Amino acid sequence: MSKLKYVGQSLKRKDGPDKVSGRAVYTQDVRLPGTLIGRVLRSPHPHARILKIDPSKALALPGVKGVITAKDTIGVKHGFVETPRYPADQDVLAIDKVTHVGEEIAAVAAIDDITAQRALELIEVEYEILPGVFDAETAMQPGAPEIRPTHPKVKEDLVNIAGKTETEWGDVEKGFAEADYIREDRFENQLRTHGYLEPQVTLAHWEGDKLNVWTSSMGTFIKRAKLSRTLGLPYSQVRIHKTYVGGTFGGKIDLYSHEYCAARLSMLTGRPVRITANREEIFSAYRHSQTLTIEIKTGVRKDGTILAQRFRIINNAGAHRGSGVVVIFLAWGFIMGPYRIPNLKYEGYAVYTNHTTRAPQRGHGAPKVRFAVESHLDMIAEHLGIDPITIRLKNARGPWEQLPNNDNTHEAGLIDCIKMVSQKSAFLDKWRQARPPADSKSPLRRGIGIGVTSYMSGTLIYPNGSGVVVKLNDDGSLIVLTGALDVGQGAETVLCQIVAEELAVGMDDIKLITADTDTTPQDIGAWISGMTYVTGNATRQAATHAREKILKVASEEMGVPEEDLGIEDKSVFNLHDPQQRMSYAQVFSASVAKHRGDTIIGEGFWRTMRDEPTHPSLATTKGRWTENYAFSAQVAEVEVDIETGEARLIKAYTVHDCGFPVNPGLIKGQVDGQVSMALGQAFMEEVMTKNGYTLNPNWLDYRMPLIHNMAGSEDFEVITEQYRVGQPYRTKEVGEGLVSGVLAGIANAIYDATGVRLTSAPFTPEKILAGLRKLEREKARELA
Amino acid sequence: MILFDFEHESPSSTEAAVARLNEVGEEARFLAGGTDMIPNMRIGIVKPECLISLTSIPYAPPALDAKGWLEIDALTRLSEIEHSKLVGDAAPMLAASAHSVAGNQIRQVATLGGNLCQETRCLYLNQKHDFQFVEPCFKRGGDCCYPFPKNKKNVCWSVYMSDIAPVLVALNAEVSVLGAGGEVRLPIAALFTGDGLRPHTLNPGELIRRIHIPPAPSHFGWGYHKSTVRGGLEFATALMAVALEVRANGLVCSDARIAIGAVNEGPVRLDKTEASMKGLELNPANLRMLADQASQEVNPLPHHGFSKPYLRDNIRVHLKRTLALAVERAGTRMKEDRS
Ligand SMILES: Cc1cc2nc3c(=O)[nH]c(=O)nc-3n(C[C@@H](O)[C@@H](O)[C@H](O)COP(=O)(O)OP(=O)(O)OC[C@H]3O[C@@H](n4cnc5c(N)ncnc54)[C@H](O)[C@@H]3O)c2cc1C
Ligand code: SF4
Repeated sequence: MSKLKYVGQSLKRKDGPDKVSGRAVYTQDVRLPGTLIGRVLRSPHPHARILKIDPSKALALPGVKGVITAKDTIGVKHGFVETPRYPADQDVLAIDKVTHVGEEIAAVAAIDDITAQRALELIEVEYEILPGVFDAETAMQPGAPEIRPTHPKVKEDLVNIAGKTETEWGDVEKGFAEADYIREDRFENQLRTHGYLEPQVTLAHWEGDKLNVWTSSMGTFIKRAKLSRTLGLPYSQVRIHKTYVGGTFGGKIDLYSHEYCAARLSMLTGRPVRITANREEIFSAYRHSQTLTIEIKTGVRKDGTILAQRFRIINNAGAHRGSGVVVIFLAWGFIMGPYRIPNLKYEGYAVYTNHTTRAPQRGHGAPKVRFAVESHLDMIAEHLGIDPITIRLKNARGPWEQLPNNDNTHEAGLIDCIKMVSQKSAFLDKWRQARPPADSKSPLRRGIGIGVTSYMSGTLIYPNGSGVVVKLNDDGSLIVLTGALDVGQGAETVLCQIVAEELAVGMDDIKLITADTDTTPQDIGAWISGMTYVTGNATRQAATHAREKILKVASEEMGVPEEDLGIEDKSVFNLHDPQQRMSYAQVFSASVAKHRGDTIIGEGFWRTMRDEPTHPSLATTKGRWTENYAFSAQVAEVEVDIETGEARLIKAYTVHDCGFPVNPGLIKGQVDGQVSMALGQAFMEEVMTKNGYTLNPNWLDYRMPLIHNMAGSEDFEVITEQYRVGQPYRTKEVGEGLVSGVLAGIANAIYDATGVRLTSAPFTPEKILAGLRKLEREKARELA
Repeated sequence: MILFDFEHESPSSTEAAVARLNEVGEEARFLAGGTDMIPNMRIGIVKPECLISLTSIPYAPPALDAKGWLEIDALTRLSEIEHSKLVGDAAPMLAASAHSVAGNQIRQVATLGGNLCQETRCLYLNQKHDFQFVEPCFKRGGDCCYPFPKNKKNVCWSVYMSDIAPVLVALNAEVSVLGAGGEVRLPIAALFTGDGLRPHTLNPGELIRRIHIPPAPSHFGWGYHKSTVRGGLEFATALMAVALEVRANGLVCSDARIAIGAVNEGPVRLDKTEASMKGLELNPANLRMLADQASQEVNPLPHHGFSKPYLRDNIRVHLKRTLALAVERAGTRMKEDRS
């Protein structure tokens, strides 16, 4: 195998210089003359019928150029999921009722912010207030206020069911009957937000027959699709331009009402319209992550082998289906991945409530699921007198296991991950050693805990594939056209490395044109953990295609068979006589001259699970989910002050099977980012709500971790795949799955340190103190 | 973005500023670093028509007066207090509290006077009211209270979260206030009403000119603790400032002042606990007893998602540790004095 020069190296980011020098253009930086300021009128009620909207006073205000309400729309709904079973259920502007605080009712465009604000105040809306319901389990019960009708396929006597995922295999009852030990637990977690620093912002400009849009997103093609459909425009009339993105984490995927409003207002006024959400709006009206309540029952053999598991998961989906019906599907996937479960019954409900609509957030349910499963597994292990490593190795999936949905674990590295993280962290030496000697006066206790995860690397979802074009310039440098969007994860750098490797061209000789819906090929977008795999393989194919053309021309010109040619440094050379060579520039001229003007353009495309007709069923889980499972095992060490209940993460160890690391430096960045997200989730972050209103809609009262809260983080790769020039390769997911093991590890480590088992996140001092008190009372009772 | 129009003036002396504010009247406000005022204008809980900026007024660096009192101009930036050698020597607790405020960028512009005059805080108050909590609460001149709906009319349980005020209370500081009628000097505690609706006693047009801190006695120890969730860029969960004196012969307490912050409408002194301390040997068992007593004496308001019982727990443990630190410092100081 030839040595790789670009792929596998921690090369510096393609977008780095733009970002650190301030040259990078974000949506807010795009300036167009005559731009109007748009603002959105939002519901002050969690649940109310709209009896009347009268915008006339706002329209009459000098400086107001346009006002839109539902009447100005074509009535086409949208949704995160739009399938025959789960049709779109979201209006771009509320029609007859509002179902969450902050729901969009109208929008204005005015010459400045103050006028826009006054205009909002002048829109008269009459409401009839309806009773609201906020807790998912209450909302399911017959008699609860109905937000939307229960899904017609759900036949149980329940209300507000947005969707249900149900699946089983084996014989669960038989599995439980054979078990030596059965345990049931219930886990909950808090509402969290994505915490993207760049607010939601959109600039739209209608030029009479063409809508130009700049918007902060995670992929421009899905935005084009949903915007075009809700506006009733052909896709060809809508162009989403690329801008740099200041963070997303799952929060900017599908259509948001303000994007529609900016576009529609521009069409009405003929002027560019910009809408920038303020932070309070983002916190109290936009989409946060999914919360799950997880009930698990597990039956095991004495040796820790899992025989049967039963899950009931309830998702508080908020006012619309959003990604609720996806998270209850994915939760099943995150359960099934890491451990063998011979008999499983799974039920997941997505429930409408009068909370804001929900969206994916990095990990899309996995952190919650793995926190539950891994805590539960530790409790089982303790009962059986088995250590946490042994019970995990006992159940971990190995390579080439066929999964119940016909997926295959392929070269799974999970067992190596568990072994290596145990060794690197000296897990068994530290575990249960945390308690200080009896004479210690220190209130500090250390603990260690482990969590295991597997994650999909791309699945079949809109638009299912990626195309890439690689163009040779006449000086031998390259232009790459890709629909991929770099949202900070490093897509541009990684794709560039692949082209550089395949074509032996330096990184600086490659220019990328990305994520522009008019000029670049279609792409899946940066939101289903498959970009390096899917877009990367498309890129590799396009580069290979260009290389083949280059070699063909060079072979003819040099009179050397193609197999005797090599490439380096933008030139082709004779492997047997390296002095004989032709630069790409010369190849280009020859190709144009002798191949009827062929300017050497390489095309590539890729799709995961290429032969699968469609995505798996969200309702039944039937069909393949992914062809590429990433696996990881993570260990957390915590320190808890048993007098104050204050706890912190000291160190995280991550060992993960990422397939092949195309850019180890970027992967490390992903790992560290996920460790910090996990500790935020574990100890500090929570969107506090009351009756659908958000109590802490700002960065002061919603506490994201700061730089000094960062814990030490070590990571190691288990490499199960290879990259070979010209060959398809497999890389596995690294950007989402690694929040989970740390969160689960922290929960287990707190138990190790204190004996307090926390079943709801975040792990606040108040909860830890309550747990310690309970232990004291139990001890006193035992003594008495 | 501030969504209303206002005037802005920058007089060049405190006297001129006070005179201007009295001329313009009710609709004018002082603006110092603006780190409290500007966010409050942005969310619309204060809508001055005119801002009288204090930022062009020259101010003197911290200094000792003839009697050895430390004098600090109210316009001094918190970062200057934090880094001043003189403040660090004469009133290290003040330096520590200034350091604990917000983050560095804010401390570079935030002033001492502004810190003391900051508004009280409440989750329902500190946000825009475009579509959430649209009906004004008592504090915004309306007719309800969101977190405490059973409260009597015009009772507001917002909390006063200055990190510095409790320290000044514990240090027995005094404050000079400049009004239309000239300057008066008051004990610091006289600045606070203990009423969430109107937490300060200053009348419009009265300006804090400077702070005076008495010299520390020889057997003096201090302790300061700000409880937070993430240890920075954050208001306190609960805050405690302890100043105590021990007798020359050992660790028996001769005087003590304890001030608790962030959990009530103003800084609160723990009179009963202070009284029990006097004459008591400050050994670990007694400190624990005192902290227990203090946690019963305080009556924290649940705030920012922290429950009353948790706040009591927090204060009990951290006050015990803070007292221990103060005792240790007093002991060290005594040794230094003897040597
Ligand atoms: C992100 C953030 C975090 C923060 N964290 C903390 C914290 O941890 N601890 C803390 O204590 N505070 C914190 N604050 C509040 C911070 O605003 C104050 O600490 C700061 O010191 C206020 O000073 P200023 O000069 O900016 O006041 P300004 O905003 O200019 O003024 C505040 C008020 O005081 C009045 N005023 C100002 N100077 C005088 C004077 N000399 N005489 C009479 N009235 C006057 C003004 O009219 C106004 O009403 C934080 C603020 C922010 C934005
Ligand atoms: S406590 Fe005070 S500020 Fe908070 S809602 Fe009640 S009245 Fe308003």
